[in-house]
Amino acid sequence: MATVTIAERNERALAQPRRNVLRAFEESRAYPAALLTPILLFFVLLNVIPTLWLIGFSFYRYSLQSPDIPRPACVSGPCPTLLSIPTGIQVSLTQQLQIIIPAELPIGNYIRIFEDPALWGAFGRTFLFVVLAVVIEVVLGVALGFLFWGSSKMPGRRVALTLLFTPMVITPVASGLFWRLIYEPTFGVLNFLIRTFGGQPIDFLTNNQWAFPAVLFVDIWMWTPFMILMTLAALGSVPKAELEAAEVDRMSWRSKVRYVIWPHGKFILMLGILLRTIDAFKTTDLVFLMTNGGPGNITELVGLQLYRYAFASLNIGFSSALAVVLLIAAIAFTSIYLWVLNARRRVESR
Amino acid sequence: MSRAMRTRIYYAILWMVAIFFFLPIFWILLAALKTDADILAVPPKLIFAPTLEQFNKTLFGRGTGISNTIPYLVNSLVLSLGSVALATVVSFLAAYAFSRYKPRATNFLMFLMLSTRMVPASATVVAIFQMYNAFDIGLRNLGLISQPFFRGFPGVLLLYTMFSIPFSLWILKGFIDGVSPRYDETGFVNGASRLHVLFKVVLPQVRPGLIAAFIFNLIFVWNEFLFNFILGGQGTQMIPYALAVGLVNAGGNIDWGYVAALSILYVSLPVVMIFFFQRYLLVGMTFGTVRGEV
Repeated sequence: MATVTIAERNERALAQPRRNVLRAFEESRAYPAALLTPILLFFVLLNVIPTLWLIGFSFYRYSLQSPDIPRPACVSGPCPTLLSIPTGIQVSLTQQLQIIIPAELPIGNYIRIFEDPALWGAFGRTFLFVVLAVVIEVVLGVALGFLFWGSSKMPGRRVALTLLFTPMVITPVASGLFWRLIYEPTFGVLNFLIRTFGGQPIDFLTNNQWAFPAVLFVDIWMWTPFMILMTLAALGSVPKAELEAAEVDRMSWRSKVRYVIWPHGKFILMLGILLRTIDAFKTTDLVFLMTNGGPGNITELVGLQLYRYAFASLNIGFSSALAVVLLIAAIAFTSIYLWVLNARRRVESR
Repeated sequence: MSRAMRTRIYYAILWMVAIFFFLPIFWILLAALKTDADILAVPPKLIFAPTLEQFNKTLFGRGTGISNTIPYLVNSLVLSLGSVALATVVSFLAAYAFSRYKPRATNFLMFLMLSTRMVPASATVVAIFQMYNAFDIGLRNLGLISQPFFRGFPGVLLLYTMFSIPFSLWILKGFIDGVSPRYDETGFVNGASRLHVLFKVVLPQVRPGLIAAFIFNLIFVWNEFLFNFILGGQGTQMIPYALAVGLVNAGGNIDWGYVAALSILYVSLPVVMIFFFQRYLLVGMTFGTVRGEV
């Protein structure tokens, strides 16, 4: 072996490629499959199975308040208002299968969704909430986004933007609590200001007229910065050369927006509006923490209503049907979102 | 008016807008630095002797329902770091496979993944809750576990991993698509193994995507409340849970000192994150679908 030259060794290697198990595996079709296995496991375990479960139960009249079921303490006794966590529910799969009663019609639960006035009320309020929140946030966000457009050389810009964008990255639990302290009728700072200017103090979150606008205002405070961010991104997606050309042509402000900014910026703005719509539709934590749907049901949005059907009324069949409806709505929204995203790709790559 | 003067006024207006949005948080920060008496004072005090008493009491025990906050803080940290790290690894492997091998259902799967993040949490949690309970009872009946597995720490960790995967996948696929396959080919021609190409050629080039995915998923899991509230048992409850429950346990009277101090502690992490990682804010808030800087 001592006199094997490099040339000889190379020849030998070429003649007999080394059989390496790892290499063979990497070249086979098993390699991409292996890379995809973990994500598919997660997806099947935590999305596919629960969704099938949900769809299955949505066809049954299955309520944990039926007899013969080990009940959570909260059902027999009084429930603490905010704390109706179903820790006591211990129903095994076999028990689940024993107690479910097929709905009168297989789609009985879905029909009941349409017949439930409380739910229609919640859908109506959610719709109003989403429309008002998104419209106001978009108008404010676009206006402020244009205002911030020329700020790239501002001293301390990074700190200023951090302050500006903070409301959207803190947990809604915390921001809900912040605003409860600010809205507080006796020592809250807002009522202090109202009193200073000679007004009557208002208990915003328990007042029939004020609770809804008060929650809406917090949502606007949280998410206007997001629309500012999206507006800045939309403006940033306009090619510099076209803006300079518009400058050279002394284009009017209006036609600059119409012919230079809009054709490029509209996509990102649309994506922002869609994301915000989807997110506003999901609002649950915030109302849960601020008003818990009250006073009465004035701030009861769909997300909260669903939570209540499932975990306070323990009406699993019905809430599953409602969840399936919301799932379909989410998929529809996502399709629209991706359609806009692809439209942008097509236009930008032309 | 001179140009410099105009610029100065413009900047002053921008600063005022930014500060206006921050004011509510600043007010809570002030409350966290007050004594209990000062918080409840009428009229509200703007000038007071600041004290760290509230932070001290919040962290190291006080007479409300939650006497010690440290375990909750630890849960928050462990769950969010653990699940996000796991999600980043899982999504990186998948994003590479999707980007380079383009299996048949790529677009459909990407779409499904994104739509899972668009479903209201209260809809998902109904299903997960049913499934987790049944699995736990099944496992217990088989004698495999004595503590809840799915409704305990492992289940919540897995759930948060899935919660973070869609966003990481979208962002990383976008970044890997941006790395030309020629890099991979050059690697193969030079005798590199596929794993070498994956980790030594592609990985370094998508570092911004990894950072953005990590940071923003961290923020999202850190902020999550509803899953934690409903599924969480002992050892999985995070600070938002403590905030919401501490609220009730004070006997109807909210302990504002506790709420203020704890929430200031809690929100400081996302705030620091967006200060340092501001350039990823856009890609982060749009689930990786829009890239660019502001």
